[in-house]
Amino acid sequence: MPAVQLTAVSKSYRRRGRPPQKALDNLDLLVESGGVHGFLGPNGSGKTTTIRVLLGLVSADPGGGEIRLLDQPVPDGLPDVIGSVGALVETPLFFPGLSGRLNLQLLAEAAGVSKARVEECLELVDLSGRADDRFKGYSLGMKQRLGIAAALLKAPRLLILDEPSNGLDPAGIRDVRELIRRLGRDGHTTVLLSSHLLAEIQQVCDSVSILARGRCVASGPVGEVLASRGSGDVLVQIADPAAAAAVLQGAGFSVSPADGALMVHSVAAPSDITRVLAGSGLYLEELRRVTPDLESAFLAITGDQPHDGPAAPGIPA
Amino acid sequence: MSAVVEQPGAPVAQPTVHRASFGSLLRSEAHRFRSRRFIQLLLVLAVVGWVVSTVIGLLNYGTPDDGDLADAQARLDEIVAEQQVFYEECLEDANVPDDTTPEEWCGPAPTADNFGGPEAFLDKAPFDFGEAGTSGALGVAALAAALAVAIGATWIGAEWSSRTIVALLFWVPRRLQVMAAKLTVLVAAAALFGVLTQAAWLATAGIWEALVGGPDALPENFWSALLQTQGRGVLLVVLAAVLAFGLTNVVRNTGAALGIAFVYTAIVENILRALRPHWEPWLLTSNALGLVQQGGYTITYWNDGPIGPDGNPPEYYLGPLQAGVYLGLVAVVLAAVGAVLFAKRDLH
Repeated sequence: MPAVQLTAVSKSYRRRGRPPQKALDNLDLLVESGGVHGFLGPNGSGKTTTIRVLLGLVSADPGGGEIRLLDQPVPDGLPDVIGSVGALVETPLFFPGLSGRLNLQLLAEAAGVSKARVEECLELVDLSGRADDRFKGYSLGMKQRLGIAAALLKAPRLLILDEPSNGLDPAGIRDVRELIRRLGRDGHTTVLLSSHLLAEIQQVCDSVSILARGRCVASGPVGEVLASRGSGDVLVQIADPAAAAAVLQGAGFSVSPADGALMVHSVAAPSDITRVLAGSGLYLEELRRVTPDLESAFLAITGDQPHDGPAAPGIPA
Repeated sequence: MSAVVEQPGAPVAQPTVHRASFGSLLRSEAHRFRSRRFIQLLLVLAVVGWVVSTVIGLLNYGTPDDGDLADAQARLDEIVAEQQVFYEECLEDANVPDDTTPEEWCGPAPTADNFGGPEAFLDKAPFDFGEAGTSGALGVAALAAALAVAIGATWIGAEWSSRTIVALLFWVPRRLQVMAAKLTVLVAAAALFGVLTQAAWLATAGIWEALVGGPDALPENFWSALLQTQGRGVLLVVLAAVLAFGLTNVVRNTGAALGIAFVYTAIVENILRALRPHWEPWLLTSNALGLVQQGGYTITYWNDGPIGPDGNPPEYYLGPLQAGVYLGLVAVVLAAVGAVLFAKRDLH
C-alpha cells in the first residue's frame, strides 16, 4: 500500500490582476510504505504546496486528480488517517506565550495522546530541560525541535517533515538525521522528507522524488535516480596514462586526463576499455564508472532553473 | 539533541492510531483558555477592580445620623426657599406674554422633591439597593460586555497571529469541528464570566447595603426585576464575545477587528444617530441597551419626524426580546461567515 499517492493533481493560485500561478501541474507522486523518501525541488517547485494538499490545508484544483494518504482519499478520508500522520510544515506553529510542554500537552489532549508520550517526545528532541520555558523564548533550533516533537507525538505511520533541519546547529542536524534514519528503518514508519540539503537527502533517503515546475521529473530509489543521470564517464587508473590515452583514442574513445588518471567519456560498455588496453599490453589498476552525486543529478534534472519565485505572493512553494 | 544519539531506542514508539473526538478537542480548548495569560491577567484585574470599587463605594456611601439628616434638611429648605423667591418674582414679572398665564410661564412651584430630597444634600448618602440594583446590573453588564469583546477577539485572533489553528488541523482536519469547539468554549467561558460579574455586583451591593445601606425596604418585585436584568446582562456578554469572535475570524487579525469595533461604536453610530435618527433601532449599542435595561429602551426622535397629536415627538420602543433576537442574529451571521470562510479557504 503506498503511503502517499497523487495522480494528475493540479493546483493554481489566483492572483489579483495577474493570471493564476500554477503551483502543481498534473503532479504524479508515489511514495511506497516504509523507509525514508526524499522530496526535492528548487524553490517554488511545489514541494510545500504538495504537502499542504496532502494534509488538506490547500484544496487541489477540481477535476480529475486523485490524492490518497495511507490509502484514504484526501480530503474526505483525512479524518480517518490523520491520527497516523505526523507533520512539520515549514515553521513550527505554537502559542508563543505558552511553554513548550504545555503546547505539546494541548495537542496531545486534542488527539487523546497520553502525557507520558509528551515527555517521551520532549526527551527525544532533548528539550526536557527547557520544556517549561515559553515558546517565544526559544531559539530557532529549539523551536524546530519542538516542531519535530509535535510531529512525533502521535507515533505516526507517516511522518511528513518539511525542512526539519532549518535553524539547527550541526549536532542538531546530525541527530535529526539519525532519528529519521532510525524511524525509516523501524519497519512501521514512512518518512517523507522535504529538504534543500541534498547531501542530507542522499545520506538518509532510500528513495527520492524530484519536483520542478509543479511536476515530478524524477522518482525512484536514490541509486537508480543517480544512475539514470550518469554521464557514461569511466575513470581509468593505469601505470602509463599517456600510452593508455593514445591506445584508447586510437580505438575511438574520447579521453581526457584526470589527476594522474584518465577519464574516458560516454562509455557504453566499460569492458571495451579493458579489452582494448589489454590488447596493447596495458593492464588496468582500477576501472570505475563515475556516478554523479545528488546535487549534480538534481541540477541536471531540474536544469538549475528555479521556478519563477514563490508560487504566489505569500504562498510557499 | 545528543539525547537522540545517546538514547537510541526508547522514544520511537510503535505507530498507533489516535482519533480526536469532539470531547477531547473541547477539553484541549478549555485547557488552552484557562492557560492564556490574557485571561489570567483579566481575572486578576477584575478581582482588583472589584475590591477597589467596593472600597470606593464604602468610602463614598455612609449611614447618616439624625444630626446629618437635620443638616441636609436645613440645606434643602434653604435652597427651596431661595427658589420660591425666584418663583414668586417670576409670577409677578410684567414681561409674561399675553397669551399665557404666569403659572404656565413660570412652571410649577419648587418643592423639595425637585432637588432630590434631603438625601441629595447628605455628605455621604446611604446606599439604596432598591434604587441602584438594576441600574448597577446594567452598568456591570456593559463593562463585562466590553471585556467580553476583548476576550472573544483575542481568543481567535491569537490563533491567527500564531497560525496555531493551522497546526491544529494536522490533528483535527474537520475545520468546522475545530471552529465549533472554539466557539463552544468561548460561549461557556463568556457565560461564566457574565454570571461571575453579576454575582460580583450582588456581592458588592450586599456589602454596601449591610455596611452603608439606607433604611428603605426593597420595592415590590425587586428581586424578579433584578435577576431578569442580570440574566439579560449575561446574554449580552455572551453575544458580545461571539460578535467579536466572528468579526476577528473574518478579518483574521485582532487589532483590525478591535479597530473596526471601536470605529463603529465611537464614530459610525454617533454619525448615524445624528444624520439618520430612524436607523437607531438597528444600531448595536441601542439594541444592547434595549436588551438589558429594565423595560427596554424607548428611542425618541427629537429632531426628526412630525410631532404627534399629543404634542410629543415620535418614539420607538426597543424591547428586550426584539433587541436580543437582533443582536443574536448579527452574532450568528458573523460567526457563521467566519466559520464558512475558514472551512473553504486555503490555509498557509
